[in-house]
Amino acid sequence: MVELIQAALDMGWPILAFLVCLLVYFQVSISDPAKKKQATFKTFIGMIAAFMLLMAIANYKINFFANSRLLPVSLAMITALAFMMGIYFTNIGALFKIGGFMFLVAAGLSGYGNWLPQVEGGFPPAEVKLDFGSMSAQQLADEGEKIIFGGIGQSKVQGAIGKGQCPLCHGFNEGFLSERAPNLWGVPDRAKTRLDDPRYHKGKPGDRDTEQKEAFPGSGTAETGQEYIAESHSCPSCFVVAGFGVKGTNDKQSPMPAIHKPPISLSLGELAAVDTWMYVREGKEAPSFEEITKAYEKFIPEADRPKQTEDKPGAAGGGGVLATGEEPVDQIFQKATCVACHTIPGIAGAVGTIGPKLVEGTNAPTRIKDPAYKGTAKSTREYITESVINPSAFVVKGFPDNTMPKEFGKKLSAGALNKIVDYLSQLQEGKEPPKIS
Amino acid sequence: MGSLTRKKTLAVMALSAMIGLLLLPIVVSVPALASGGGAPAGGPPPDVVKKEGGEGDKDKKVEKARDVYYKTEGIVSGLPAPKTGDNAKDYPRYNFESRVLLWFANQQHLYYGSFVLAVPIFCMVIEFMGVMTKDKAMAKKYDQLAYDFIKISLTAYSLTAILGGILIFTFLTLYPAFFGYLSSIFRPVMHIYALMFVAESGTLYIYYYGWDKMKEGFLKWIHLSMSVILNVIGTVLMFLANSWIGFMMSPAGVDEQGRFLGNIWHVIHTALWNPLNVHRILGNMAFGGGVVAAYAAYRFLSSKTDEERAHYDWMGYIAMSLGVAFLIPLPFAGYWLMREVYAYRQQMGITLMGGLLAWLFIIQATMIGILFLSTNYYLWQALGRMRGAERFQRWIKYFVFLLVCGFLVFITPHTMVMTPAELKAMGGQQHPVLGNYGVMSAKNGGINVIITTTVLTFIWYQRGNRVPSVSWSKFGNIFMGVFFFFAYVNIIWLAIYGYFIPANVRVGLSVPQVATTLSCLFFMTALNLSMLKGAKQIGPIEWGKISVRSQYALIMLATAFTWMMGLMGYIRSSVRLFWHVNEIMRDNSPWAYTHTVGFAANMISFNVLFFWISIMFVFWLGTLAAKKAPVEAKAPVPGQAPQPAVGH
Repeated sequence: MVELIQAALDMGWPILAFLVCLLVYFQVSISDPAKKKQATFKTFIGMIAAFMLLMAIANYKINFFANSRLLPVSLAMITALAFMMGIYFTNIGALFKIGGFMFLVAAGLSGYGNWLPQVEGGFPPAEVKLDFGSMSAQQLADEGEKIIFGGIGQSKVQGAIGKGQCPLCHGFNEGFLSERAPNLWGVPDRAKTRLDDPRYHKGKPGDRDTEQKEAFPGSGTAETGQEYIAESHSCPSCFVVAGFGVKGTNDKQSPMPAIHKPPISLSLGELAAVDTWMYVREGKEAPSFEEITKAYEKFIPEADRPKQTEDKPGAAGGGGVLATGEEPVDQIFQKATCVACHTIPGIAGAVGTIGPKLVEGTNAPTRIKDPAYKGTAKSTREYITESVINPSAFVVKGFPDNTMPKEFGKKLSAGALNKIVDYLSQLQEGKEPPKIS
Repeated sequence: MGSLTRKKTLAVMALSAMIGLLLLPIVVSVPALASGGGAPAGGPPPDVVKKEGGEGDKDKKVEKARDVYYKTEGIVSGLPAPKTGDNAKDYPRYNFESRVLLWFANQQHLYYGSFVLAVPIFCMVIEFMGVMTKDKAMAKKYDQLAYDFIKISLTAYSLTAILGGILIFTFLTLYPAFFGYLSSIFRPVMHIYALMFVAESGTLYIYYYGWDKMKEGFLKWIHLSMSVILNVIGTVLMFLANSWIGFMMSPAGVDEQGRFLGNIWHVIHTALWNPLNVHRILGNMAFGGGVVAAYAAYRFLSSKTDEERAHYDWMGYIAMSLGVAFLIPLPFAGYWLMREVYAYRQQMGITLMGGLLAWLFIIQATMIGILFLSTNYYLWQALGRMRGAERFQRWIKYFVFLLVCGFLVFITPHTMVMTPAELKAMGGQQHPVLGNYGVMSAKNGGINVIITTTVLTFIWYQRGNRVPSVSWSKFGNIFMGVFFFFAYVNIIWLAIYGYFIPANVRVGLSVPQVATTLSCLFFMTALNLSMLKGAKQIGPIEWGKISVRSQYALIMLATAFTWMMGLMGYIRSSVRLFWHVNEIMRDNSPWAYTHTVGFAANMISFNVLFFWISIMFVFWLGTLAAKKAPVEAKAPVPGQAPQPAVGH
């Protein structure tokens, strides 16, 4: 609040000074006591209104990119301001009243949006080059679980989802309702039986009534259970399980995208990992990596196979990011190794003493005013961002310069940096740290 | 007679010449389109040129590739979509989020664009009503109203063009790689777009400045025809602009690498183009109605005389009626769009309705509820200006009950993305109290109850000061009552029945539900109108004698609609997640993540308020330009409610 008032005064002191001058002028120039009283009152109200407006703007300026649920309060303040002005400027009073009402409606809707649970879509996960071929079945299965659900052990968490996006439509647990696409429990055994389905036309792809007969001309149909799984991943419309086709196509077309193509674009290694997990989690022996990839090669021509390192997000920024911004803030601090050097209240294990203690809610405002400060930040948030990206902008006394790496600007995603700044800006000396969400 | 015929012939010739001139750009560009946009977008790739130009290679080799959507083969005629990186070359930037700047520029252009495209449609309808009505005083009033509308839009028109320029510069300076790719694909379309814009401007100016010269007899019909041409051009303009966003969401006409395959029609006619077109036309109309209604409310509230108040009360009513007439089919058009989204990419649909963006749809449902509640509130208030309508007041509480019930069902979510902690707190995916509520058929039931009740309110309003005097009025009333009763029973029964059947069957229930609502809308309003022919008037309509609150309901309607437009635009755009062009060109900027709901809400509010502040300024300018009482304001205010041109 103090920071907000300060920012408002920094920004709008000339306006307030003008109004004060006006007040003085009225005292001197108006002789009629009634008129003087009225002018004084109006100017005083004007000063309050101007201050509210400045506070509202300062709130937007400081918290625009922050997850501040109080931002819509600014709109409510402008509403009050507009109604106040409507009383004094009767000529255009209707405009002020309508404007005020609109601000009120917008404040309500904005407040509603801020009141709802806040979900931020993180960056697409960074791809890491893994050597799937040399992994054991369990390691492959673990990677498969990560691809499907986003992490090891996440298959038991409802709503967990990974790069493969499979749980958006498929059920994975025995007996679970799976309305959009078949439940994949039991697939290793069921795959073989699908080959005998009269609609599958094993060995005779030309007889199929589906929109796409083969994965590519000459690929043929699956001969084994694993080949069936590979075919259904790479050519979902070659055979559609009854009742799961695109509505109106009579199961001739599948709504599922080819998994080796955008937007999912799993490489052959990743597909092998996914398949291995489906066997391993049911306690079944999985085919070897070579057998699985061979099955996929039957249905995905060389030119269509995505390369694992292709399209790596942020690749041009110089290597993978340390944190994507999807993680909770304490994990971001851990991943970026901030905890090794800094003491950060509220973060477990962050007791480092190589760098200064990060109570930036208290430190930043005073440092910005320090004559030794060389940066351009005007607010706490800007200061924190700047000190992560350019640590030399201000070197805290007692700590040597050039100790902190200068590459965090490239190694942290914008989402991760945003979370760090959010958290640190709330830390104040002698106060409880905020809760980690 | 001879001179009149000559005049007519000349007028027809002038009109034909104008149409010919306007269509000339398209005719000229047709051969270019037929051959895939003349020289291929971005020029043929170097390897193709090499193959073609190689000495001794007599058989000209061309590279062929498969269309990602149409699955047809085409000759590769463009460069692949660029692979961008997080650097200043691909994403030049200020010390601010480029995406937010673009968001702002885009949204403002869209608001103004929608407004200036919608207003000529209103003008056309109102001018036509003026020409057709036999009451001369009313005819003049309608004509003046249409003129007032176009006058407002004229100032907004230049602002639209300025904002369009700002948008292009923002694209060019902040997203050069992406815009370069998009313009390489759409180059011929963009040129036609620019030419159509010139045609639109020309027609608009002739239409506006020729108003007085062409106000009588046959020339009036010519003038009216020009409004049709104006709207045809405007609609084509919008369709062309829609093709770009359609391409970004559901690309077609290119191969997997994003290389243009020579067929510009495929690029334009993507999977989502048509539903987007329909949705946007209806949305623009409802939005335009809201803006004009807000203008009328502003003028009403600042009126100094009863005559002015009467005029602007009437104007607000007409604008609101037109806006709502297009608001009613909007949810159905939205439903069609969503169906097409699901059909195109199921994951995209799920991201929208049951994934990352699902909370935004909860806001949208709330907004739709607010819009319909405001409309009903306005109409109930409007009953106050009719003597004799007091008899309907006691029914309002039942309407409120129906609307609130429908609203609550409509905003109840079914599937939401939750954190493990939230899941644990709730004890599972479903709410412990609400359980499995909020399935689609129930939600459809909710919105259909709201719309049907709005139709009923409107029928009540039409009867406000009149009592049917046709011989079969008793039978008509009973029939109408029974029809509405069974409509409610059918909608609600299907909503409940949906809980007992599988999801894929349940989806089909929306058809009978929507059909029931539309039957009420069309058949019952038509029946009501025929019953009111020669009806006995039990009191006058006292235009201008409406509560101030009603005008705030109009402003609420306008603001809420603007906000919803911003919200839906954001949803539509952010569903691409980290793709500039879905699955073709990846967004590798530092802003490839999706903002939180709160940030989006703040940003939408900012855009909405900026638009309203600027358009208020336009309104204010309008009042400066014409500091005179509305024409015919001194004429006795007609006692009969004008029938809005909405088919009922």
